[in-house]
Amino acid sequence: MSDGVKRRLGTAVRSRWGKNRLMAMVGIRMMFHDRAKLVGTLLGVIFATVLVNQQLGVLMGLLFKNTMLVENAGADIWIVSPGLESVIGGNRLSMYTLNQARVAEGVAWAEPMAYGTANVSLPNGGSEAVSLIGTRLTHYGAGPWNMVAGDVEALEMPDTVIFEDSQRQKLGGLNLGSVRELSGHRVVVGGFTWGLLPFAPSYAFTEFDTARNILRIPSDQTTFVLVGVAEGADVNAVRDDLARRLPELRVITREDFRSSIVSYLIRAQLGISFGTSTAFAVIVGFVIVALSMFSAVVDNIREFGTLKAMGASNFDLAKLLLVQSIAYAVIGSIVGLFLVTRMSEGIRSANLVLVLPWWMYAGTFGFMTVLCIVASGLALLRVRNVEPGMVFR
Amino acid sequence: MSGPGEVTVDARNVTKTYGTGALAFQALRGVDFFAREGEFVMLNGPSGSGKTTLLSILGCVLTPSGGSVKIWGEEIAGRKERELPALRLAYIGFIFQGHNLLASLESRENVALPLRMRGWGTGAAMKEADRLLERVGLADKRERRPHELSGGQKQRVAIARALAGAPPIILADEPTASLDAETGLGVTQLLKDLAVQGGHTVVVVTHDNRIFHLADRIVNIEDGHIVNGSTH
Repeated sequence: MSDGVKRRLGTAVRSRWGKNRLMAMVGIRMMFHDRAKLVGTLLGVIFATVLVNQQLGVLMGLLFKNTMLVENAGADIWIVSPGLESVIGGNRLSMYTLNQARVAEGVAWAEPMAYGTANVSLPNGGSEAVSLIGTRLTHYGAGPWNMVAGDVEALEMPDTVIFEDSQRQKLGGLNLGSVRELSGHRVVVGGFTWGLLPFAPSYAFTEFDTARNILRIPSDQTTFVLVGVAEGADVNAVRDDLARRLPELRVITREDFRSSIVSYLIRAQLGISFGTSTAFAVIVGFVIVALSMFSAVVDNIREFGTLKAMGASNFDLAKLLLVQSIAYAVIGSIVGLFLVTRMSEGIRSANLVLVLPWWMYAGTFGFMTVLCIVASGLALLRVRNVEPGMVFR
Repeated sequence: MSGPGEVTVDARNVTKTYGTGALAFQALRGVDFFAREGEFVMLNGPSGSGKTTLLSILGCVLTPSGGSVKIWGEEIAGRKERELPALRLAYIGFIFQGHNLLASLESRENVALPLRMRGWGTGAAMKEADRLLERVGLADKRERRPHELSGGQKQRVAIARALAGAPPIILADEPTASLDAETGLGVTQLLKDLAVQGGHTVVVVTHDNRIFHLADRIVNIEDGHIVNGSTH
């Protein structure tokens, strides 16, 4: 600024913040003045927010379903067959593994877990599969969770199985005390859980030896060995010790196993489908916001020219657009998150759960703000090219 | 006017060429122009004569291709594009043909706009805007938005906005073009009264011969040349 200009403006230029506030005020007023453009742009943000969160919520729900056994089994360390990426499809382990685990330093307890697919014979002659889990962990608070009928202690009774409540009709109209045939074995229904439906057939729980018999696992074998670490012992140190003792097996902490399953599912199955639909939602939202903001600038081009003629710089007008972008992002995210929350409550069932963790809410605001700011780039380019001289034409 | 004041705008041998090569068009061909403090000058000429180009250069909206333009002795020709907004903010008040009020703002907010752009606090700017609206006879319309005002009222708000912050130079581009004869005359008379009282230099581009009698001096421009009224 030249000396002449400084003299002329004198002490009137009090603070940069005053001008910033002015640009913010003008931006917001322009935004709310053109209701049609406001609604159009907000719809873009709301659309992107709902679709992205809905897709990610379903993805999180599916990941949750596939990691819930690891999360709820009560073990600090899992010993599984080598190369096993999830709880499904592993080779059996020798019971010798269990003895090795029990004598390792820092191990409070080690128990076997049987896992496999069994078929419930239906009264109509058909059959339905369940993912049968044989456990001895009920006394550690693990085993079946989310019980809605019956008691975990029922598993101490011979040939008792706890089934998934949402599958009662599908499994032939089960009730407490119902007797069914499970892969050729007579079992009694001892209780029901709710929502324990992985990608595979629903979970059903029974005592380890019963499961071993039903799944035809030899008495010297198991599917997994679960380990609880003694109080005060370091989980990683115990894991390393067990890995040294059992070099031919995969020894993994609960947290690492959970991450490994998530990583495997995203890499192998879910990543492409959910990634594509999420990216599509982001692109569509981005295009709507970018075009709406560009169109708003074109419609108000004389006003931008007037502001420039009056002395507003490109930087000032960029701040105006920045405030509009943030406002669109915040309002759109609030409405979008409200809708997706209501949607998740509406569609919540044992089969489909939308998991919306707090960081997804926080991340939505950040992400939508970035999306709107980047989308306003097109509008900014148009504003930059506005000649203040246009107001004379 | 009590007597000739200091020269506020002094343009010498100003040229402006649009485009290059075979497509080049010379809009101004060595224009000399000046205006004094408190003077009310009208710039007249046919369409395409270069009067809007000259107004744009005087308003620091456009840089000349050659020559010298001084405002209060400060050379503005040859300034970089990014320096021009500050010059406009410091020296120039604009009145446009189509009033160009911001549709989303109330009258008082439109008038306060240049003040707040200069860093005035909201309260002080609004107070000054109210005072200026009272001077243009629109005290009761200060909370109205542009679409709630008549053409004459909008142009009076535009005059108040141009006067805000007391810029030494007010440039008006066809201010009566969209107004009927009586309203146009009234608006121009008001502009002259307020500008003279405030010691502003006013340059009005107009075709409207019904308001010529209000001018202290009429400068005619044709084919990029001043044909009379520009002598220093």
